[in-house]
Amino acid sequence: MPRPAKILVVDDEPDLEPLMLQRMRRHIRAGRYEFLFAHNGVEALERLREDPGIDMVLSDINMPQMDGLTLLEQIPQVDPDIRSVIISAYGDMKNIRTAMNRGAFDFVTKPVDFEDLQVTIDRTLRHLAEWREALASRDKLVALQNELDVASKMQQSILPTEFPKGSSYQIFGSMEPARSVGGDFFDVMSLENGRIGLAVADVSDKGVPAALFMMSTRTLLKGAAIGNQDPGAVLREVNDLLHDDNEAAMFVTVLYAEYDPASGELRYANGGHNPPLLVHADGSSALLPLTDGIALGLVPDLQYKQESLTLAPGDAVVFYTDGVTEAMNIENDEFGTEGLRAIFAASPPSNWKEANSAIFDAVHAFAGDMPQSDDITCVTLWRRESEP
Amino acid sequence: MELETRREEGTLIAKAQSRVDGANAREFQEALEAAIDTSDRALLLDLEQLSYISSAGLRVILLTAKTLGKQDAKLAVCSLSDPIREIFEVSGFDKIIPIHPSPTEALAALKS
Repeated sequence: MPRPAKILVVDDEPDLEPLMLQRMRRHIRAGRYEFLFAHNGVEALERLREDPGIDMVLSDINMPQMDGLTLLEQIPQVDPDIRSVIISAYGDMKNIRTAMNRGAFDFVTKPVDFEDLQVTIDRTLRHLAEWREALASRDKLVALQNELDVASKMQQSILPTEFPKGSSYQIFGSMEPARSVGGDFFDVMSLENGRIGLAVADVSDKGVPAALFMMSTRTLLKGAAIGNQDPGAVLREVNDLLHDDNEAAMFVTVLYAEYDPASGELRYANGGHNPPLLVHADGSSALLPLTDGIALGLVPDLQYKQESLTLAPGDAVVFYTDGVTEAMNIENDEFGTEGLRAIFAASPPSNWKEANSAIFDAVHAFAGDMPQSDDITCVTLWRRESEP
Repeated sequence: MELETRREEGTLIAKAQSRVDGANAREFQEALEAAIDTSDRALLLDLEQLSYISSAGLRVILLTAKTLGKQDAKLAVCSLSDPIREIFEVSGFDKIIPIHPSPTEALAALKS
Protein backbone atom coordinates (compact mmCIF):
# COMPACT_ATOMS: atom_id res chain seq x y z
CA MET A 1 0.00 0.00 0.00
CA PRO A 2 1.33 3.47 -0.77
CA ARG A 3 2.25 5.64 2.18
CA PRO A 4 -0.27 8.31 3.23
CA ALA A 5 0.18 11.74 1.67
CA LYS A 6 1.77 14.09 4.21
CA ILE A 7 -0.04 17.41 4.39
CA LEU A 8 1.23 20.34 6.45
CA VAL A 9 -1.61 22.62 7.59
CA VAL A 10 -0.51 26.15 8.53
CA ASP A 11 -3.00 28.36 10.42
CA ASP A 12 -2.86 30.49 13.55
CA GLU A 13 -6.49 29.54 14.30
CA PRO A 14 -6.28 26.84 17.06
CA ASP A 15 -9.71 25.46 16.13
CA LEU A 16 -8.64 24.32 12.70
CA GLU A 17 -6.51 21.40 13.92
CA PRO A 18 -9.28 19.41 15.72
CA LEU A 19 -11.75 20.32 12.99
CA MET A 20 -9.49 19.06 10.21
CA LEU A 21 -8.70 15.82 12.07
CA GLN A 22 -12.37 15.28 12.70
CA ARG A 23 -13.63 16.01 9.19
CA MET A 24 -10.85 14.07 7.49
CA ARG A 25 -10.89 11.18 9.95
CA ARG A 26 -12.05 8.57 7.43
CA HIS A 27 -9.22 9.44 5.05
CA ILE A 28 -6.75 9.44 7.93
CA ARG A 29 -7.95 6.07 9.14
CA ALA A 30 -7.86 4.68 5.59
CA GLY A 31 -4.19 5.69 5.49
CA ARG A 32 -4.68 8.18 2.67
CA TYR A 33 -3.74 11.40 4.47
CA GLU A 34 -1.48 12.27 7.34
CA PHE A 35 -1.72 15.79 8.79
CA LEU A 36 0.97 17.89 10.45
CA PHE A 37 0.26 21.34 11.89
CA ALA A 38 2.09 24.65 12.23
CA HIS A 39 0.80 27.99 13.46
CA ASN A 40 2.72 30.43 11.30
CA GLY A 41 5.16 30.59 8.40
CA VAL A 42 8.28 30.31 10.55
CA GLU A 43 7.04 27.16 12.25
CA ALA A 44 5.95 25.78 8.87
CA LEU A 45 9.44 26.18 7.42
CA GLU A 46 10.87 24.41 10.50
CA ARG A 47 8.48 21.47 9.97
CA LEU A 48 9.41 21.32 6.28
CA ARG A 49 13.11 21.25 7.08
CA GLU A 50 12.64 18.55 9.71
CA ASP A 51 10.49 16.31 7.54
CA PRO A 52 11.47 15.94 3.90
CA GLY A 53 8.51 13.60 3.39
CA ILE A 54 5.92 16.41 3.34
CA ASP A 55 4.07 16.41 0.01
CA MET A 56 1.89 19.50 0.21
CA VAL A 57 1.19 22.61 2.27
CA LEU A 58 -2.25 23.99 3.05
CA SER A 59 -1.77 27.50 4.39
CA ASP A 60 -3.77 30.45 5.68
CA ILE A 61 -2.70 33.91 4.49
CA ASN A 62 -2.91 36.17 7.55
CA MET A 63 -0.70 34.86 10.35
CA PRO A 64 1.73 36.35 12.90
CA GLN A 65 5.53 36.22 12.44
CA MET A 66 5.40 35.07 8.82
CA ASP A 67 2.29 35.26 6.69
CA GLY A 68 1.20 32.74 4.05
CA LEU A 69 2.33 34.86 1.07
CA THR A 70 5.87 35.12 2.44
CA LEU A 71 5.83 31.42 3.24
CA LEU A 72 4.95 30.69 -0.40
CA GLU A 73 8.12 32.45 -1.49
CA GLN A 74 10.25 30.48 0.99
CA ILE A 75 8.96 26.95 0.35
CA PRO A 76 10.78 26.34 -2.97
CA GLN A 77 14.09 26.99 -1.22
CA VAL A 78 13.38 24.04 1.07
CA ASP A 79 11.93 21.80 -1.61
CA PRO A 80 10.87 23.03 -5.07
CA ASP A 81 8.63 20.00 -5.60
CA ILE A 82 6.23 20.75 -2.69
CA ARG A 83 2.82 21.97 -3.86
CA SER A 84 0.89 24.59 -1.86
CA VAL A 85 -2.81 25.37 -1.54
CA ILE A 86 -3.85 28.68 0.01
CA ILE A 87 -6.84 29.27 2.29
CA SER A 88 -8.12 32.80 1.77
CA ALA A 89 -11.04 34.93 2.82
CA TYR A 90 -13.97 34.67 0.43
CA GLY A 91 -13.65 37.20 -2.39
CA ASP A 92 -10.12 38.30 -1.45
CA MET A 93 -9.02 38.25 -5.08
CA LYS A 94 -6.01 40.49 -4.50
CA ASN A 95 -4.34 38.04 -2.11
CA ILE A 96 -5.46 35.03 -4.14
CA ARG A 97 -3.83 36.50 -7.27
CA THR A 98 -0.63 37.27 -5.34
CA ALA A 99 -0.59 33.71 -3.99
CA MET A 100 -1.09 32.20 -7.44
CA ASN A 101 1.65 34.40 -8.88
CA ARG A 102 3.96 33.21 -6.14
CA GLY A 103 3.45 29.63 -7.17
CA ALA A 104 0.43 28.41 -5.21
CA PHE A 105 -1.10 25.41 -6.97
CA ASP A 106 -4.71 26.19 -5.97
CA PHE A 107 -6.81 27.95 -3.32
CA VAL A 108 -9.88 27.33 -1.17
CA THR A 109 -11.96 29.96 0.59
CA LYS A 110 -13.22 30.41 4.12
CA PRO A 111 -15.38 29.11 5.60
CA VAL A 112 -13.72 25.89 4.45
CA ASP A 113 -16.00 23.51 2.59
CA PHE A 114 -14.34 20.21 3.52
CA GLU A 115 -15.74 18.27 0.58
CA ASP A 116 -14.31 20.84 -1.79
CA LEU A 117 -11.06 20.82 0.17
CA GLN A 118 -10.80 17.06 -0.23
CA VAL A 119 -11.27 17.33 -4.00
CA THR A 120 -8.61 20.07 -4.07
CA ILE A 121 -6.18 17.97 -2.01
CA ASP A 122 -6.65 14.95 -4.27
CA ARG A 123 -6.20 17.02 -7.40
CA THR A 124 -3.00 18.51 -5.97
CA LEU A 125 -1.68 15.06 -5.02
CA ARG A 126 -2.49 13.66 -8.47
CA HIS A 127 -0.62 16.52 -10.08
CA LEU A 128 2.31 15.90 -7.74
CA ALA A 129 2.40 12.19 -8.67
CA GLU A 130 2.45 13.05 -12.37
CA TRP A 131 5.10 15.68 -11.81
CA ARG A 132 7.33 13.20 -9.97
CA GLU A 133 6.84 10.64 -12.72
CA ALA A 134 7.85 13.20 -15.34
CA LEU A 135 10.96 14.05 -13.31
CA ALA A 136 11.87 10.36 -13.05
CA SER A 137 11.43 9.94 -16.83
CA ARG A 138 13.64 12.93 -17.44
CA ASP A 139 16.32 11.49 -15.18
CA LYS A 140 16.14 8.19 -17.02
CA LEU A 141 16.45 10.00 -20.33
CA VAL A 142 19.49 11.89 -19.09
CA ALA A 143 21.02 8.60 -17.90
CA LEU A 144 20.31 7.01 -21.29
CA GLN A 145 21.84 9.96 -23.10
CA ASN A 146 24.94 9.61 -20.92
CA GLU A 147 25.17 5.94 -21.81
CA LEU A 148 24.83 6.77 -25.50
CA ASP A 149 27.66 9.25 -25.14
CA VAL A 150 29.78 6.53 -23.55
CA ALA A 151 28.86 4.13 -26.38
CA SER A 152 29.80 6.78 -28.91
CA LYS A 153 33.17 7.37 -27.21
CA MET A 154 33.80 3.61 -27.12
CA GLN A 155 33.02 3.36 -30.81
CA GLN A 156 35.37 6.19 -31.64
CA SER A 157 38.06 4.75 -29.39
CA ILE A 158 38.21 1.41 -31.22
CA LEU A 159 39.00 3.14 -34.50
CA PRO A 160 42.70 3.22 -35.26
CA THR A 161 44.40 6.58 -34.94
CA GLU A 162 47.91 5.29 -35.53
CA PHE A 163 48.62 3.55 -38.79
CA PRO A 164 51.31 1.07 -39.83
CA LYS A 165 54.20 2.97 -41.33
CA GLY A 166 56.59 1.80 -43.99
CA SER A 167 59.12 3.43 -46.26
CA SER A 168 57.16 2.34 -49.33
CA TYR A 169 53.59 3.21 -48.41
CA GLN A 170 51.24 5.42 -46.38
CA ILE A 171 47.86 4.61 -44.82
CA PHE A 172 45.32 7.02 -43.34
CA GLY A 173 41.75 6.64 -42.28
CA SER A 174 38.99 8.42 -40.42
CA MET A 175 35.27 8.30 -39.73
CA GLU A 176 32.71 11.00 -39.01
CA PRO A 177 29.53 9.63 -37.38
CA ALA A 178 26.20 11.14 -38.38
CA ARG A 179 24.53 10.34 -35.06
CA SER A 180 25.92 9.82 -31.61
CA VAL A 181 26.34 6.12 -32.34
CA GLY A 182 26.90 5.01 -35.89
CA GLY A 183 27.17 1.93 -38.06
CA ASP A 184 30.43 2.56 -39.93
CA PHE A 185 33.85 1.41 -38.94
CA PHE A 186 37.27 0.77 -40.36
CA ASP A 187 40.31 -1.12 -39.21
CA VAL A 188 43.95 -1.36 -40.16
CA MET A 189 45.88 -4.37 -38.87
CA SER A 190 49.51 -5.43 -39.02
CA LEU A 191 49.57 -9.09 -40.03
CA GLU A 192 52.24 -11.75 -40.46
CA ASN A 193 55.12 -11.25 -42.89
CA GLY A 194 54.64 -7.49 -43.00
CA ARG A 195 51.25 -7.73 -44.65
CA ILE A 196 48.58 -5.21 -43.73
CA GLY A 197 44.88 -5.93 -43.35
CA LEU A 198 42.45 -3.09 -44.19
CA ALA A 199 38.73 -3.17 -43.57
CA VAL A 200 35.94 -0.68 -44.22
CA ALA A 201 32.43 -1.62 -43.18
CA ASP A 202 28.91 -0.25 -42.94
CA VAL A 203 26.20 -1.83 -40.76
CA SER A 204 22.60 -1.62 -41.96
CA ASP A 205 20.74 1.04 -40.03
CA LYS A 206 22.09 3.31 -37.28
CA GLY A 207 21.72 3.66 -33.54
CA VAL A 208 22.35 1.28 -30.67
CA PRO A 209 21.50 -2.07 -32.37
CA ALA A 210 23.74 -1.18 -35.31
CA ALA A 211 26.51 -0.17 -32.90
CA LEU A 212 26.37 -3.52 -31.12
CA PHE A 213 26.41 -5.38 -34.43
CA MET A 214 29.33 -3.25 -35.54
CA MET A 215 31.31 -4.04 -32.39
CA SER A 216 30.91 -7.79 -32.86
CA THR A 217 31.73 -7.55 -36.58
CA ARG A 218 34.90 -5.69 -35.80
CA THR A 219 36.00 -8.29 -33.23
CA LEU A 220 35.16 -11.22 -35.51
CA LEU A 221 36.97 -9.57 -38.41
CA LYS A 222 40.13 -9.04 -36.37
CA GLY A 223 40.12 -12.69 -35.32
CA ALA A 224 39.46 -13.94 -38.83
CA ALA A 225 42.14 -11.68 -40.35
CA ILE A 226 44.78 -13.15 -38.05
CA GLY A 227 43.65 -16.74 -38.64
CA ASN A 228 43.30 -16.72 -42.42
CA GLN A 229 45.57 -16.06 -45.38
CA ASP A 230 42.92 -15.04 -47.91
CA PRO A 231 40.51 -12.08 -47.84
CA GLY A 232 37.77 -14.33 -49.23
CA ALA A 233 38.22 -16.79 -46.37
CA VAL A 234 38.14 -13.93 -43.84
CA LEU A 235 34.76 -12.74 -45.10
CA ARG A 236 33.45 -16.28 -45.23
CA GLU A 237 34.29 -16.90 -41.58
CA VAL A 238 32.84 -13.59 -40.39
CA ASN A 239 29.69 -14.10 -42.48
CA ASP A 240 28.98 -17.51 -40.96
CA LEU A 241 29.55 -16.29 -37.41
CA LEU A 242 27.34 -13.23 -37.93
CA HIS A 243 24.60 -15.28 -39.50
CA ASP A 244 24.16 -17.44 -36.38
CA ASP A 245 21.47 -15.92 -34.13
CA ASN A 246 20.80 -13.01 -36.47
CA GLU A 247 17.02 -12.87 -36.00
CA ALA A 248 16.92 -9.12 -36.52
CA ALA A 249 18.24 -9.51 -40.09
CA MET A 250 21.01 -7.00 -39.50
CA PHE A 251 23.76 -7.07 -42.05
CA VAL A 252 27.08 -5.41 -42.69
CA THR A 253 28.80 -4.61 -45.94
CA VAL A 254 32.55 -5.17 -45.67
CA LEU A 255 35.45 -4.49 -47.96
CA TYR A 256 38.43 -6.43 -46.67
CA ALA A 257 41.84 -6.16 -48.30
CA GLU A 258 45.36 -7.33 -47.59
CA TYR A 259 48.31 -5.34 -48.83
CA ASP A 260 51.80 -6.69 -49.19
CA PRO A 261 54.20 -3.72 -49.10
CA ALA A 262 57.07 -5.88 -50.38
CA SER A 263 55.41 -6.63 -53.71
CA GLY A 264 52.71 -3.95 -53.89
CA GLU A 265 50.10 -6.66 -54.27
CA LEU A 266 46.61 -5.88 -52.97
CA ARG A 267 44.16 -8.73 -52.59
CA TYR A 268 40.59 -7.96 -51.64
CA ALA A 269 37.16 -9.47 -51.21
CA ASN A 270 34.00 -7.42 -51.30
CA GLY A 271 31.00 -8.39 -49.18
CA GLY A 272 28.32 -6.13 -50.64
CA HIS A 273 30.35 -2.97 -50.14
CA ASN A 274 31.06 0.02 -52.38
CA PRO A 275 33.93 -0.75 -54.75
CA PRO A 276 37.22 0.94 -53.79
CA LEU A 277 38.69 3.54 -56.11
CA LEU A 278 42.14 3.03 -57.62
CA VAL A 279 43.83 6.37 -58.25
CA HIS A 280 46.92 6.64 -60.43
CA ALA A 281 49.72 9.14 -60.00
CA ASP A 282 48.37 11.25 -62.89
CA GLY A 283 45.00 11.64 -61.19
CA SER A 284 43.12 9.20 -63.43
CA SER A 285 41.10 6.63 -61.53
CA ALA A 286 38.95 3.50 -61.83
CA LEU A 287 36.63 1.58 -59.54
CA LEU A 288 37.93 -1.85 -58.60
CA PRO A 289 35.69 -4.64 -59.91
CA LEU A 290 33.11 -6.11 -57.55
CA THR A 291 33.69 -9.67 -56.42
CA ASP A 292 30.00 -10.73 -56.44
CA GLY A 293 29.90 -10.88 -52.66
CA ILE A 294 26.73 -10.55 -50.60
CA ALA A 295 26.56 -8.33 -47.50
CA LEU A 296 27.59 -10.30 -44.38
CA GLY A 297 25.14 -11.85 -41.93
CA LEU A 298 22.37 -12.68 -44.41
CA VAL A 299 23.07 -16.03 -46.05
CA PRO A 300 25.20 -18.78 -44.48
CA ASP A 301 27.88 -20.94 -46.16
CA LEU A 302 28.79 -18.41 -48.83
CA GLN A 303 32.05 -18.51 -50.73
CA TYR A 304 33.54 -15.05 -51.13
CA LYS A 305 35.61 -14.57 -54.25
CA GLN A 306 38.65 -12.35 -54.17
CA GLU A 307 40.49 -10.22 -56.68
CA SER A 308 44.04 -9.07 -56.73
CA LEU A 309 46.01 -6.25 -58.34
CA THR A 310 49.49 -4.85 -58.00
CA LEU A 311 49.82 -1.19 -57.18
CA ALA A 312 52.30 0.64 -59.34
CA PRO A 313 54.48 3.16 -57.50
CA GLY A 314 52.36 6.29 -57.11
CA ASP A 315 49.05 4.39 -57.15
CA ALA A 316 46.60 4.82 -54.31
CA VAL A 317 43.42 3.01 -53.30
CA VAL A 318 40.54 4.84 -51.63
CA PHE A 319 38.25 2.70 -49.47
CA TYR A 320 35.06 4.44 -48.41
CA THR A 321 31.47 3.95 -47.27
CA ASP A 322 28.30 5.18 -48.96
CA GLY A 323 28.30 8.19 -46.62
CA VAL A 324 30.83 9.62 -49.09
CA THR A 325 29.16 8.77 -52.40
CA GLU A 326 25.55 9.19 -51.24
CA ALA A 327 26.07 12.56 -49.56
CA MET A 328 23.39 14.86 -50.94
CA ASN A 329 23.33 18.56 -51.71
CA ILE A 330 20.37 20.91 -51.49
CA GLU A 331 19.26 19.92 -55.02
CA ASN A 332 19.12 16.24 -53.97
CA ASP A 333 22.07 15.35 -56.18
CA GLU A 334 24.45 12.70 -54.89
CA PHE A 335 28.17 13.31 -54.52
CA GLY A 336 28.66 9.98 -56.28
CA THR A 337 31.80 8.22 -57.33
CA GLU A 338 32.10 11.01 -59.93
CA GLY A 339 32.51 13.52 -57.10
CA LEU A 340 35.18 11.33 -55.56
CA ARG A 341 37.06 10.89 -58.82
CA ALA A 342 36.87 14.60 -59.60
CA ILE A 343 38.92 15.39 -56.47
CA PHE A 344 41.92 13.53 -57.86
CA ALA A 345 41.43 14.39 -61.52
CA ALA A 346 41.69 18.09 -60.67
CA SER A 347 44.92 17.80 -58.72
CA PRO A 348 46.68 14.48 -58.25
CA PRO A 349 47.71 14.45 -54.59
CA SER A 350 51.31 14.25 -53.58
CA ASN A 351 50.49 13.94 -49.90
CA TRP A 352 47.90 11.29 -49.10
CA LYS A 353 47.34 12.33 -45.52
CA GLU A 354 46.10 15.62 -46.90
CA ALA A 355 44.23 13.79 -49.65
CA ASN A 356 42.28 11.86 -47.03
CA SER A 357 41.08 15.04 -45.36
CA ALA A 358 40.51 16.63 -48.78
CA ILE A 359 37.90 13.93 -49.41
CA PHE A 360 36.02 14.90 -46.25
CA ASP A 361 36.33 18.59 -47.15
CA ALA A 362 34.95 17.94 -50.63
CA VAL A 363 31.97 16.00 -49.25
CA HIS A 364 31.19 18.76 -46.73
CA ALA A 365 31.54 21.48 -49.37
CA PHE A 366 29.21 19.56 -51.68
CA ALA A 367 26.57 18.89 -49.01
CA GLY A 368 26.62 22.51 -47.81
CA ASP A 369 23.93 23.06 -45.19
CA MET A 370 22.25 19.69 -45.77
CA PRO A 371 22.43 17.66 -42.56
CA GLN A 372 24.77 14.67 -42.65
CA SER A 373 22.47 11.66 -42.91
CA ASP A 374 25.05 8.87 -42.86
CA ASP A 375 28.41 8.12 -41.31
CA ILE A 376 31.31 9.08 -43.53
CA THR A 377 34.33 6.79 -43.56
CA CYS A 378 37.39 6.93 -45.74
CA VAL A 379 40.65 4.99 -45.70
CA THR A 380 43.45 5.57 -48.19
CA LEU A 381 46.42 3.39 -49.03
CA TRP A 382 49.20 4.91 -51.11
CA ARG A 383 52.23 3.21 -52.61
CA ARG A 384 54.93 5.84 -52.67
CA GLU A 385 56.34 6.85 -56.01
CA SER A 386 59.87 6.34 -54.80
CA GLU A 387 61.22 5.47 -51.40
CA PRO A 388 62.39 8.57 -49.58
CA MET B 1 4.68 6.59 -45.51
CA GLU B 2 2.24 6.35 -48.39
CA LEU B 3 2.15 2.88 -49.92
CA GLU B 4 -0.03 2.36 -52.96
CA THR B 5 -1.27 -1.23 -52.99
CA ARG B 6 -3.46 -3.49 -55.08
CA ARG B 7 -3.99 -7.25 -55.35
CA GLU B 8 -3.79 -9.51 -58.36
CA GLU B 9 -4.55 -13.22 -57.99
CA GLY B 10 -3.26 -13.56 -54.44
CA THR B 11 -0.28 -11.29 -54.99
CA LEU B 12 -0.07 -8.02 -53.11
CA ILE B 13 1.53 -5.36 -55.27
CA ALA B 14 2.96 -2.39 -53.35
CA LYS B 15 4.47 0.71 -54.93
CA ALA B 16 7.23 2.33 -52.92
CA GLN B 17 7.72 6.07 -53.36
CA SER B 18 10.65 8.51 -53.35
CA ARG B 19 13.18 7.50 -50.67
CA VAL B 20 13.58 4.85 -48.03
CA ASP B 21 16.42 5.66 -45.65
CA GLY B 22 17.24 5.47 -41.95
CA ALA B 23 14.72 8.23 -41.20
CA ASN B 24 11.66 6.44 -42.58
CA ALA B 25 12.67 2.76 -42.77
CA ARG B 26 10.54 1.90 -39.75
CA GLU B 27 7.53 3.63 -41.29
CA PHE B 28 8.14 1.68 -44.50
CA GLN B 29 8.23 -1.55 -42.49
CA GLU B 30 5.02 -0.70 -40.63
CA ALA B 31 3.25 0.24 -43.86
CA LEU B 32 4.25 -3.09 -45.41
CA GLU B 33 3.22 -5.06 -42.32
CA ALA B 34 -0.16 -3.33 -42.28
CA ALA B 35 -0.72 -4.03 -45.98
CA ILE B 36 0.14 -7.73 -45.91
CA ASP B 37 -2.78 -10.08 -45.37
CA THR B 38 -2.31 -13.65 -44.12
CA SER B 39 -4.00 -14.87 -47.31
CA ASP B 40 -1.40 -13.18 -49.55
CA ARG B 41 0.70 -15.71 -51.45
CA ALA B 42 3.27 -13.19 -52.60
CA LEU B 43 4.37 -9.59 -52.28
CA LEU B 44 5.63 -7.73 -55.31
CA LEU B 45 7.41 -4.47 -54.51
CA ASP B 46 7.20 -2.14 -57.48
CA LEU B 47 10.22 0.16 -57.09
CA GLU B 48 9.71 2.19 -60.25
CA GLN B 49 9.11 5.40 -58.31
CA LEU B 50 11.77 4.79 -55.69
CA SER B 51 14.73 7.15 -56.09
CA TYR B 52 16.89 5.98 -53.20
CA ILE B 53 17.11 3.11 -50.73
CA SER B 54 19.63 2.87 -47.91
CA SER B 55 20.87 -0.24 -46.15
CA ALA B 56 18.17 0.32 -43.52
CA GLY B 57 15.59 0.11 -46.33
CA LEU B 58 17.17 -3.05 -47.74
CA ARG B 59 16.95 -4.55 -44.28
CA VAL B 60 13.19 -3.88 -44.20
CA ILE B 61 12.77 -5.72 -47.51
CA LEU B 62 14.72 -8.62 -46.06
CA LEU B 63 12.71 -8.69 -42.83
CA THR B 64 9.51 -8.61 -44.88
CA ALA B 65 10.75 -11.54 -46.98
CA LYS B 66 11.43 -13.44 -43.75
CA THR B 67 7.96 -12.69 -42.39
CA LEU B 68 6.38 -13.75 -45.68
CA GLY B 69 8.42 -16.95 -45.64
CA LYS B 70 6.70 -17.93 -42.41
CA GLN B 71 3.34 -17.88 -44.19
CA ASP B 72 4.87 -19.66 -47.22
CA ALA B 73 4.65 -16.53 -49.30
CA LYS B 74 7.28 -15.11 -51.66
CA LEU B 75 8.71 -11.67 -52.20
CA ALA B 76 10.00 -10.15 -55.42
CA VAL B 77 10.85 -6.67 -56.66
CA CYS B 78 10.37 -5.12 -60.08
CA SER B 79 10.93 -2.02 -62.21
CA LEU B 80 14.20 -0.91 -60.62
CA SER B 81 15.74 2.31 -61.87
CA ASP B 82 19.46 2.23 -62.60
CA PRO B 83 20.58 3.75 -59.25
CA ILE B 84 18.37 1.33 -57.30
CA ARG B 85 19.58 -1.62 -59.36
CA GLU B 86 23.15 -0.57 -58.61
CA ILE B 87 22.43 -0.53 -54.85
CA PHE B 88 20.98 -4.06 -55.13
CA GLU B 89 23.98 -5.26 -57.11
CA VAL B 90 26.69 -3.71 -54.94
CA SER B 91 25.16 -5.05 -51.71
CA GLY B 92 24.60 -8.49 -53.25
CA PHE B 93 20.84 -8.24 -52.65
CA ASP B 94 20.26 -9.10 -56.32
CA LYS B 95 21.37 -12.61 -55.36
CA ILE B 96 18.90 -12.89 -52.46
CA ILE B 97 15.80 -11.09 -53.76
CA PRO B 98 14.36 -11.96 -57.21
CA ILE B 99 14.39 -8.91 -59.48
CA HIS B 100 12.09 -8.56 -62.52
CA PRO B 101 11.99 -5.90 -65.24
CA SER B 102 8.23 -5.25 -65.01
CA PRO B 103 5.14 -6.16 -62.93
CA THR B 104 3.86 -8.42 -65.74
CA GLU B 105 7.01 -10.47 -65.81
CA ALA B 106 7.19 -10.54 -62.03
CA LEU B 107 3.61 -11.80 -61.71
CA ALA B 108 4.24 -14.51 -64.28
CA ALA B 109 7.36 -15.63 -62.41
CA LEU B 110 5.60 -15.56 -59.02
CA LYS B 111 2.77 -17.69 -60.39
CA SER B 112 5.04 -20.49 -61.56
